[in-house]
Amino acid sequence: MTSLRAFTCDDLFRFNNINLDPLTETYGIPFYLQYLAHWPEYFIVAEAPGGELMGYIMGKAEGSVAREEWHGHVTALSVAPEFRRLGLAAKLMELLEEISEKKGGFFVDLFVRVSNQVAVNMYKQLGYSVYRTVLEYYSASNGEPDEDAYDMRKALSRDTEKKSIIPLPHPVRPEDIE
Amino acid sequence: MAARGHVQDPNDRRLRPIYDYLDNGNNKMAIQQADKLLKKHKDLHCAKVLKAIGLQRTGKQDEAYALAQEVAALEPTDDNSLQALTILYREMHRPELVTKLYEAAVKKVPNSEEYHSHLFMAYARVGEYKKMQQAGMALYKIVPKNPYYFWSVMSLIMQSISAQDENLSKTMFLPLAERMVEKMVKEDKIEAEAEVELYYMILERLEKYQEALDVVRGKLGEKLTSELQSRENKCMAMYKKLCRWPECNALSRRLLLKKAEGKILAGEVHYSIEQAVKFIEERITEESKSARPLRGPYLAKLELIRRLRCRGCNDEYKLGDPEELMFQYFKKFGDKPCCFTDLKVFVDLLPSSQYTKFISQLLEVIPLSAAAESEVALPADIKALQQHLCVVQLTRLLGIYHAMDKKEKLTAVRELMLRYRHGLEFGKTCLKTELQFSDYYCLLAVHLLLDLWLEEGEETAVWQCLTFLEEGLSHSPSNAQFKLLLIRIYCRLGAFEPVAELYSSLDAKHIQHDTIGYLLTRYAESLGHYAAASQSCNFALRFFHSNQKDTSEYIIQAYKYGAFEKIPEFIAFRNRLNSSLHFAQVRTERMLLDLLLEANISTSLEESIKSMSLSPEEDDIPWKDLRDNRDLTVLFNWDPKDRDISEEHRKLSLEEETVWLRIRSLTLRLVSGLPTLSHAIQPKNSEKTAENGVSSKIDTIRSLLQQLEAAVDSGKKFLEQKIQYPVLGPPPTRMAGFFSNGSCQCQTSLFYLVSDIYELDTNGLEDSAEIQERIGNSFKSLIERLTDLFNKCKGDLIEVRDGTLKTQPNLLENLVFFVETISITLWVSSYCDSVLRPFKSNLQKKKKKKKESSVAMPPVFTHFLDYVTELQTLTSNVIDHIKGLEIILTALKLEELSLKDTLLLQEEKKFTKTVQGKVQSSYHHSVQEIGELLKKRLDTIKKLKI
Repeated sequence: MTSLRAFTCDDLFRFNNINLDPLTETYGIPFYLQYLAHWPEYFIVAEAPGGELMGYIMGKAEGSVAREEWHGHVTALSVAPEFRRLGLAAKLMELLEEISEKKGGFFVDLFVRVSNQVAVNMYKQLGYSVYRTVLEYYSASNGEPDEDAYDMRKALSRDTEKKSIIPLPHPVRPEDIE
Repeated sequence: MAARGHVQDPNDRRLRPIYDYLDNGNNKMAIQQADKLLKKHKDLHCAKVLKAIGLQRTGKQDEAYALAQEVAALEPTDDNSLQALTILYREMHRPELVTKLYEAAVKKVPNSEEYHSHLFMAYARVGEYKKMQQAGMALYKIVPKNPYYFWSVMSLIMQSISAQDENLSKTMFLPLAERMVEKMVKEDKIEAEAEVELYYMILERLEKYQEALDVVRGKLGEKLTSELQSRENKCMAMYKKLCRWPECNALSRRLLLKKAEGKILAGEVHYSIEQAVKFIEERITEESKSARPLRGPYLAKLELIRRLRCRGCNDEYKLGDPEELMFQYFKKFGDKPCCFTDLKVFVDLLPSSQYTKFISQLLEVIPLSAAAESEVALPADIKALQQHLCVVQLTRLLGIYHAMDKKEKLTAVRELMLRYRHGLEFGKTCLKTELQFSDYYCLLAVHLLLDLWLEEGEETAVWQCLTFLEEGLSHSPSNAQFKLLLIRIYCRLGAFEPVAELYSSLDAKHIQHDTIGYLLTRYAESLGHYAAASQSCNFALRFFHSNQKDTSEYIIQAYKYGAFEKIPEFIAFRNRLNSSLHFAQVRTERMLLDLLLEANISTSLEESIKSMSLSPEEDDIPWKDLRDNRDLTVLFNWDPKDRDISEEHRKLSLEEETVWLRIRSLTLRLVSGLPTLSHAIQPKNSEKTAENGVSSKIDTIRSLLQQLEAAVDSGKKFLEQKIQYPVLGPPPTRMAGFFSNGSCQCQTSLFYLVSDIYELDTNGLEDSAEIQERIGNSFKSLIERLTDLFNKCKGDLIEVRDGTLKTQPNLLENLVFFVETISITLWVSSYCDSVLRPFKSNLQKKKKKKKESSVAMPPVFTHFLDYVTELQTLTSNVIDHIKGLEIILTALKLEELSLKDTLLLQEEKKFTKTVQGKVQSSYHHSVQEIGELLKKRLDTIKKLKI
């Protein structure tokens, strides 16, 4: 029993249970506000009957239509530990895909840590495939080496020939991606 | 730096190097380059502004401001200067100056779309809604683009929101906004979705629900496409407002069935009861056929029962027995980690007499097996473990653990830890970023031990808590709950050192400074970890200060993107952060701390206060609007409702924090008033002194002192209620200690002393025998009170008694209060000194003149000298005491401590040692920092010998 609704600024005061997770980044206020101002429809939170925040997805639409790169992008997706294994992340992804379909996107993409096997497998199950590897995309703070990211994609119906997801043969550097 | 205009302009080429230097943070070179350029091109105003930016960034605010105003006075209309000035003003936190700038620019270039639009945005930054409305229309007149028109409409809504008078908002602003939109509708000029959203927003605020519904369902509604089911959701909201239940039900039914996952969104939808029952039963039947069972319909049934019971209906609709339904639910979903949270809402449906039976009923269906009859039956897989864990959580929620006696509790702890360790087997392949499946067992065991510690005074229990948590953390290094609980317990034990590391490993930042920063700031300073306290205040303040600038930027973006509904939301958010309780606290505590560490040590009290721009008259705390943004439920608990954190606790805690903040803020303001009283710093014969001078300053101080007394009184009244917050709820403030150890009396009597000394100062030495005597008595009683306070600091911080470790963390808090109080004493004494010194030199001059040896020294001098001597002795004694504590702490060999709990496993012993070592080292650290500060204070006493 879950209610899905638009994420609001007040949720920032209550999302600790989701964000105190080592793989979930807490961004600066401008970052959240930018998404709320520009793509409010892409920022959705799931709430339990008791009022606990269960998880959220934050995304945007970007890219050139002419170059067939107009797409939905998943910026953050996280579910609190006790609300995992309910298919909530899949549901939130589905919503983001639906919005991207309506906007006429060619695909949906996301970046994920190469080491985050749990997430990579989940995205694969949801129909995503690795489009390319982005070298040292995640910078580490505590002296550990920077980590690579997978750029994973799923084609939407507008990309009838699924051209957007043909994997690149070589990895790219973060400065080479748009 | 932002856009730089057109490349063709030769000035751009000239300015570019300066821009580059600024971009690279090389402000010095930027200033030099600007000077060079200005020698050749005197009128290149932008160079001046860029120089001002360089100056601003190197801390020369006054010069920067003067230079900027020079250019602004010329009312520039070139892009470069305007943009550079905008950036400069923003960095100066003076957004209102930007509006002046563009007001002048549009006067000179009345047809510039660009300048008008900058003007609109400048108004938006400072919230000048009426002017925004006009600026929007002016823009629309120059360039008839829809967004400009609707910016103007939105500004009307903002006027209505900010209007104090609700009537004015409903009869003037909103109807005007409505008419403006209607005009566009009639002319068929509506283009964008945002415009329809705005129309809907206006009608909703006007409570014109039917009209709003018509818009959403009509042609205009077709534009509502971005958000999923935007039209349906809006229709639903309006149906509810209009109480049109049949339509509401039909629509919600359609929406529910459409949702393939069948989750039921339980809102305030008013089905007829029969319909609801039927609908839910149908869903459940459907569900039972599907491969992946869904929780919604089952929970909906329980929810329906709950609501029917609230209305006084009982089982007349044959929905079934809640106990049985919950049991069935558990059988289906007990292996989901959320099963406990799902059922938690419904335990009120069970009669308390059934609790034990209910729990054993659940236990019976879990597949557990024991190796032998006498041993604990354990789960064979993760699913069974998850189910069992759910039952344990429910057991705690139903208060069954709370009803156990000490022995039973200890047995339960042992069993839980056994299950915890057994469960680790299932998580051997877990990554270190994942949690262990059995982590909650460990947490629950610790909660039980906490009960034993706090309710039954079982001292060993708290050490076991820490031991188990450290053990848990070693297996599950990302578990935030382990860390949070360790933080709370270490703090309660007075050990702050391990907390800093734990907290930093939570990687809490930005908004989390506001929501969970209290975990640090409540304890760092009060436990004598001054450096850590400074640092955590700084982090928080940096966040709060950037908020104002940051949010304004996105309010503007929201106008640009037409996200109108976000504009009031962003403004409310900005206000919520600005009026944050925590913000006001760290602001105040940070300044008190700076004074404590520096004033009259490295810089004079006067300079310190000046550098903080503190003045006793000013109060910048929004007392009436303080918002408690603390996340008080960040720590999990499974306590029954009557032990859980309630709304009442939150309210009380906010009240307590506010009173304490008032005391602290008044103390700060009183201290900041001290230098204003001194003769030495009064500019001689300045006119200001005459009209608005010292005499009004003492009035301020006296009035603040009265306010302090009042705050102290309300604080005492508050404490009389003897409120006990739940252990994991809001931490109590330092107020109780402040009153009970005597710091409060010392500090208030010090400020009364100030008043007396001021009187002596104005009256002169003659005919002031009474005042002098009063001052003398104050000195004496002050020394007595300080001595009492010192007595409250005596004792061992940590000692081994009966095979267990006993700690007295309140001694640390008292020591910290002592140091603070002695610091205030010394500031006041130095004011005293500044008053007495001129008197004495005058007397000595007289003595020389008259060549008489018999000019009697007024008694106040002797009083003061005696007092200073005693202060010095007392402070030295405290320093000696601290040294003694240090020696004891160093010598204390905890390794040799043979703990009486022989049940401890080898593994546990290891963690126990770690924990004890951490506490010991933390105390040592505290004592060292406190001792060092006190030594510095002792040095300042020596200057007081008049």
